[in-house]
Amino acid sequence: MKKNMNKSRLMFGLAATGCALGVTLPSSVRAAVSDEDFNALKALVQQMNGKLQSLQQTNQLDQQVIQQLQQKLNETQQTAIDAEQKSAAAVQAQAQPMPRMPLDEATVNRNFQILGDAEFQYVNADHQNGSFLLADFAPIFLYRGGDNILFEAGFDTTLQNTAPTGAGAMTSFDLSFAQLDYVMNDYLTLCAGDLLLPLGTYSERGAGWLNKFPDDPLAVDALIPGSGIGAELRGAMPLGDAGKLLNYAVYGVNGPSSADGTGNAGALDLGGNVGLRSDGVVANLHSNPSGGGRLAVFLPFKPRYDLELGVSGMFGDWDNAGNHLWTAGVVDASLHLGPNFEAKGEYILTRFGSDDLGLIQQQGWFVQAGYKLAGLNLELPGVNNLEVVGRYDSLRDGMGNTTDRCTLGYIYYITSALLFEGDYEFIHSTDPTQPATQLILQLSYGF
Amino acid sequence: MITHMKIIHQAKSSAQNVLAAVIAAVLIGGLASALYADELQAAARVTTNSVNQNSVARDNAKAASHYKLSGAELYSIHCNRCHAERYPTERTAAQWKTIMLHMQVRANIPGNQARLILQYLQENSGR
Repeated sequence: MKKNMNKSRLMFGLAATGCALGVTLPSSVRAAVSDEDFNALKALVQQMNGKLQSLQQTNQLDQQVIQQLQQKLNETQQTAIDAEQKSAAAVQAQAQPMPRMPLDEATVNRNFQILGDAEFQYVNADHQNGSFLLADFAPIFLYRGGDNILFEAGFDTTLQNTAPTGAGAMTSFDLSFAQLDYVMNDYLTLCAGDLLLPLGTYSERGAGWLNKFPDDPLAVDALIPGSGIGAELRGAMPLGDAGKLLNYAVYGVNGPSSADGTGNAGALDLGGNVGLRSDGVVANLHSNPSGGGRLAVFLPFKPRYDLELGVSGMFGDWDNAGNHLWTAGVVDASLHLGPNFEAKGEYILTRFGSDDLGLIQQQGWFVQAGYKLAGLNLELPGVNNLEVVGRYDSLRDGMGNTTDRCTLGYIYYITSALLFEGDYEFIHSTDPTQPATQLILQLSYGF
Repeated sequence: MITHMKIIHQAKSSAQNVLAAVIAAVLIGGLASALYADELQAAARVTTNSVNQNSVARDNAKAASHYKLSGAELYSIHCNRCHAERYPTERTAAQWKTIMLHMQVRANIPGNQARLILQYLQENSGR
């Protein structure tokens, strides 16, 4: 561009010089220039004048291009400034924490919540037709009335045939537990109501999807009560800073009772005696309530590696006359070796006096283990969602019946809370009503 | 006399049962203790550059015994006692507060540990 401008200046200078010479030279000099030379010079001047005009036009075009380029440069610079400002704003936004639940809602004093589980089963027992059933729908209602007050109640709903006594079906709706918890301090909680009793750990930790098997251990169902009406103090004390705990619970409840008021062994009722009789009288069925407690140590070695050992017991009168004592002792243990292996077991021993059979001693136990195949790191489809489980349990009812059962099965984790379980049970019992084998398939969901 | 014999027999049976339970507990406890010792020794091996490995192992054991657990670690420890861990994003901060109060009572978790777990859950909650 600069070169073109220099050229135009040169041409313009030559033309101006020629004109000036023509005007200023004396007539003698003009006379010395021939017509031919004059015409040649004239043609040259005209030619240069044409070139000058062409150069001027080119110069104008160049100026336009320069203006356009300058405008584009300004636009580019503005875009760069905008991008820089946006980038700085994004970095600043990332540095700030994401807005979470508003504080007043997160710390609201009252909150209602529903947890629970639901189970659907297919059962095919020896010498019986296989059947589908709604095994359980068990919601748990939680109402938090502050930082340290909680009311919780669990229900069990099942469908069952009216047959063989009649047609149709009926729905049972049972209260599993309903208790008011008041957290007195970091180490002690007062509970009152229909309490899940800490006789071992199964009654508190065996519901639905928590249990690795579709049915309960024989001894837990037959020998100890799952809940009782009364009050309880419970809690845990840290043993050092590594997570070790001393767990404790002590309670007083109405306790077991007699189904017909007598002291005959067959009348022992572990689940009755809720304080309100069918005739509307509020009264314990016998004069002395029961007492009990549990003491345990929880020893975590690191996350998901732990051992828990506990002893628990309960005692109290059971017949209306208050002549006979019922006692129970439970030893429980559970072991976790990583996220894939769990083993647990309980030994239960109960004794009670009776009018007809004297002192009766019952005992039972179970051990169970599960291993998640994800621990094998196999790159096979579906295998990492599978857990193999096994259980052996035994029951001696103290009145001549013994039952031993071996259960083998699997759990397929569709999600962490949706489980498809399958178990095959081998049962050896002196009770002729017990099947020899049983297949149970269960779909279980915890919510 | 027969009743007396029966009571003695029952007492012997009970003693055998209690003995069996104690043996089972000791076996499980021994297994876990051995595992714990292996964990500490493994930690010592990983971090040891010194020629005096025994003193380093002792230091690691001492450090482990005074190790303060975070909310996330306590969450893994206590949830795994009964069930698989649920994702913190499954519930809101307010819901976790109610559930943690339930779990504090049900699983016998001391209040200070429950607060650390709740803090972890609320910081990583669904919203």
